[in-house]
Amino acid sequence: MAQQEQLSRYDQRMYALMNRTEGAPLYRTAARRRAVVGAHVVLTVASVGAWLATVAGRQDWATWVMLALLVPWCVATGTINGATRGLLELRTRALDERQRAERDRVKALAHRIMNWLLFATVVGAGAAQLSGVDVRATVFQLAVGVLVAHWLMPMWVAGLSARDEPEGFDVEE
Amino acid sequence: MSEQVHNRLAMVRAERKVSRQSLAEAVGVHYQTIGYIERGQYNPSLDLALKVAKFFGLPVEALFSLEPFKPLTDQVYGHGRDQ
Repeated sequence: MAQQEQLSRYDQRMYALMNRTEGAPLYRTAARRRAVVGAHVVLTVASVGAWLATVAGRQDWATWVMLALLVPWCVATGTINGATRGLLELRTRALDERQRAERDRVKALAHRIMNWLLFATVVGAGAAQLSGVDVRATVFQLAVGVLVAHWLMPMWVAGLSARDEPEGFDVEE
Repeated sequence: MSEQVHNRLAMVRAERKVSRQSLAEAVGVHYQTIGYIERGQYNPSLDLALKVAKFFGLPVEALFSLEPFKPLTDQVYGHGRDQ
C-alpha cells in the first residue's frame, strides 16, 4: 500500500473495504476462485440477457429475472474484488509496486483476449450474414454483449490470476 | 526477461520477530507483497529492497542475492569448506 499520508479518506475507506477478510473462505483456493469467476460470467450473461429481453424484447418477466440476479451478481463481484484485494477498484496511489505491475499484466491480458473476442464476433457476424441470416437485427445485442465483456474482462482475468495467500511463518500481531 | 532474486527475508523477519504486516507498513507495501517476495514469486524493485534492508539495519546484499544463499550453518561453522 502507498504511504497513508498520500491517500485521501476515500482511498483509505476503499482500501479497508477491499482488504476485508470475511469472504476469504470463498476465494482461498484457485479452484474456488475459478468457480466464483465462472459463476460471475454465468450471472453476467443471464443478467445481460434479461436486460436485453426487457429493453429490446419488451418481456416484462425479464425485469424480475434481472432484479433477482442483481444481488448474487453483486456478491460474486465483491468476492472477486476481495480475492484481488481491489486490484482494479483501488486508485493507483493506493496500490504498491507489485500490485501496479500485476494490474498492468491483467489489463494487457484482458486486452489481448478482447481482441480475439472482437475478431471472433466480427467474423461470426460476417459469416452469419453471408449465410443468409439478417445480422442487422442483432447488432444492438451484439454491441451490448461485447461492451459488457470489455468492461468485465479485466475483473475475470484478475480473479483467475489471483494467487493464494502467502503462508509460512508469521509473527502474531 | 526476469531473473530469480534469492532472499532470506523470512529468516531475518522471524529472527527479529517482525510480522509481515508490520514490515509491509514500514516499507509502504501490501502485506501480501512481503509474502510473495519471501516465496520468490516477486522480485522487489531496488527502491523496495533498499527500504527493507534499511528497516532491518542490514546491507541489501545480506537480504537479497542473485546467487542462492549458503545455509547459515555453513556460514557460521564453516561446514562444507575444504579443510
